[in-house]
Amino acid sequence: MTTIAVRVTGISKRFGNHLAVDDVSFEVPAGVIYGVLGPNGAGKSTTLRMMNDIIAPDAGTIELLDGQHPGRAVAARIGYLPEERGLYPKMPVAEMIGFMGELRGLTGGEARRRAGAWLERLGLTQWARNKVQDLSKGMQQKVQFAAALIHEPELVILDEPWSGLDPINADVLREVVHELRASGKTVLFSTHQMEQAEKICEHVCIIARGKKVLDGRLAEVKRAAAEEGRVALGFAAAADRVAGEATLAAGTLGAVRPPRGGTDDPLAVEVELAAGVAAGALLAALVGAGVGLRRFEVVTPSLHQIFVERVGRDAASVAARTEEAVA
Amino acid sequence: MSRRGRPDWLVIARREFLERVRSPWFVVVTLLGPVLMVASIVLPALLGRAVDNSARVQVVDRSASAEVGPAVVGALTAVGWKAELVPASTAEPALLGRIKADAIDGFLVIPAESPGGGTVAYQGRNAANPIGMAVLQQVVTQVVQALRARAAGLPEDKLASVLAPVPFGATHTTGEAHGSSGMAAMAVGYAVMFVLYMAIILYAVNVLRSVVQEKTNRVVELMVAAAKPRALMLGKILGVGAVGLVQVAVWVGMSVVSMKYRAELLGVFGVAAGSWNVPPLRAADVAVVLSYFVLGYFFYAAMYAAVGAMVSSDQEAQQVQTPVAMLLVVPVLCVQLVAGDPRGTAAQILTMVPFSAPVLMPMRWLLGGASVGELLVSMGILALSTWLVAMVAARVYRVGILMYGKRPSLRELWRWIRY
Repeated sequence: MTTIAVRVTGISKRFGNHLAVDDVSFEVPAGVIYGVLGPNGAGKSTTLRMMNDIIAPDAGTIELLDGQHPGRAVAARIGYLPEERGLYPKMPVAEMIGFMGELRGLTGGEARRRAGAWLERLGLTQWARNKVQDLSKGMQQKVQFAAALIHEPELVILDEPWSGLDPINADVLREVVHELRASGKTVLFSTHQMEQAEKICEHVCIIARGKKVLDGRLAEVKRAAAEEGRVALGFAAAADRVAGEATLAAGTLGAVRPPRGGTDDPLAVEVELAAGVAAGALLAALVGAGVGLRRFEVVTPSLHQIFVERVGRDAASVAARTEEAVA
Repeated sequence: MSRRGRPDWLVIARREFLERVRSPWFVVVTLLGPVLMVASIVLPALLGRAVDNSARVQVVDRSASAEVGPAVVGALTAVGWKAELVPASTAEPALLGRIKADAIDGFLVIPAESPGGGTVAYQGRNAANPIGMAVLQQVVTQVVQALRARAAGLPEDKLASVLAPVPFGATHTTGEAHGSSGMAAMAVGYAVMFVLYMAIILYAVNVLRSVVQEKTNRVVELMVAAAKPRALMLGKILGVGAVGLVQVAVWVGMSVVSMKYRAELLGVFGVAAGSWNVPPLRAADVAVVLSYFVLGYFFYAAMYAAVGAMVSSDQEAQQVQTPVAMLLVVPVLCVQLVAGDPRGTAAQILTMVPFSAPVLMPMRWLLGGASVGELLVSMGILALSTWLVAMVAARVYRVGILMYGKRPSLRELWRWIRY
């Protein structure tokens, strides 16, 4: 078992005058679910395509599994779901899946057997002999997963896997990803849908405009963001709110903000901590001033909020808009 | 896990082959091809009988003796034409007016010098009908010759023996013992050329369409992640080519059979076959035809695959493929140069150039115009060119299949090739 499934070192890719990927490096530990996040046009797909040897980087190196470069030797151990979905419309469903398995190095018999197993698992057995074009869009999406995973790859690369999925298939895919993880496989996917990523990722790498913004374990990324973050306060009574706001008036501890997400509770506020002020210091100051509190909670920002703060509002709103459009 | 299965190109070729062979269209076209071929033999014969070559004509006799006109009218009426003699003074505009008014189909003017000399002139809307004009010319010739013979003092029975038809037969031979009918040899040569042209264009365009379709339904992204573009192109060309080979083999087989039983086939439709002696197709000839199909198909399919990779839609493909198609159409237009003189310089050049050799060399070979040495040189040139074209096409294909939108300029194309 390798400890690093993917090591990307300083890769760049230029298309004409556009620098799509600019000196990006990251490491994906083996056996984790890894999300490459970023707004549209950030360079996610280009990065994933370089991992699949579809295009070559202008600079930098990519090492997969046991330090192999992308290409034929390692292709049998990698599964890939491209962003541009496509199947052969006139091919019978079971053959389509088996065909991809054979291309990834399975023997004909083995590919047939596994294609049958996948169809059973996805509830498509009665469609096995139908042509791909006879299937509904949702069923075609399932076939697409099966075609990417039939050869039981050690490393699974999924490009925007949730885009265009209905909620049921989105759940099927999440289930499949968890199963892959449980059987020791590494799953790397890209998305601009932060909510999906937050539910499933253990590690993330955020890229924007071709550059890496941050990467690391999701829990650590969120903890780091929380430390520089906000505290939600619930005052015991209206008088406590007055006293509390007086304590904060100097602005050295932090600034009062309306709660994110809004509330009609007049006793609830959020405090954005000033730089270098720990949440504990705020609590000590409030308690010292005799302010009555019924709630004091360090707010852990959502991945979306972190994304907005780090990538910038412009880029993030592009992502949010497309997310809405998809939803 | 190591790779254990079949090589990629074979997996891909198998897919392309099966997808096409299973299609109901394949069965229809494969069976319909020979039916069309049989129809192409039977229909002209049937239609030839059905067409009425006779016409309504008026004859203006301006000759001094005024003997030619009545004799021509009589002879034409005897072969079923509606002919009448009009006064010698009838003016041309009046006759043209009658044609316009659909009163007659045409008129014949016998000049003053006739039968001694002068030109007998026919004007009519059926003047482009070769059979009709042949009949007319024959009638006029016989009448004038009879009158000249009488003027020369030759009795009519003597004239008949002088003008009796001279039997003539052309036998095509290349110096071997058994020749065959010249017409039949030519027909087989043309048929082979035509079938090769159709098959090469049909399947090469099929490769093009298949490449474009993979691009438009985006399955190509899945494919290039799993296989090398070169394996993709090779597999596609081989798979489609195998379908073509099966179909051409069926067609060649069926046409050999239908030529052999041509008389019986025609007899079913009540048409006489004529006394053609169809040249025997030897195994070597069939091998030559199939070899040129395979080489020619590879040569053009590689080009078409590259063209398919350069474009993003079927409409665009139509435009870009035209220059490539011309490479094969021009040789077909030059077929007379080979058929007319299979051993001539033009034939030699055309059957060595790789663009035209696939369709013209088999014909030249069947007509006995090429030596075995020439055949081998031609095949060698074609094989080498095919290899070169495939190398260049693979490079264009590799870059092109992932490009969407703008078509590459010639400079970009050059960069792709050197990349």
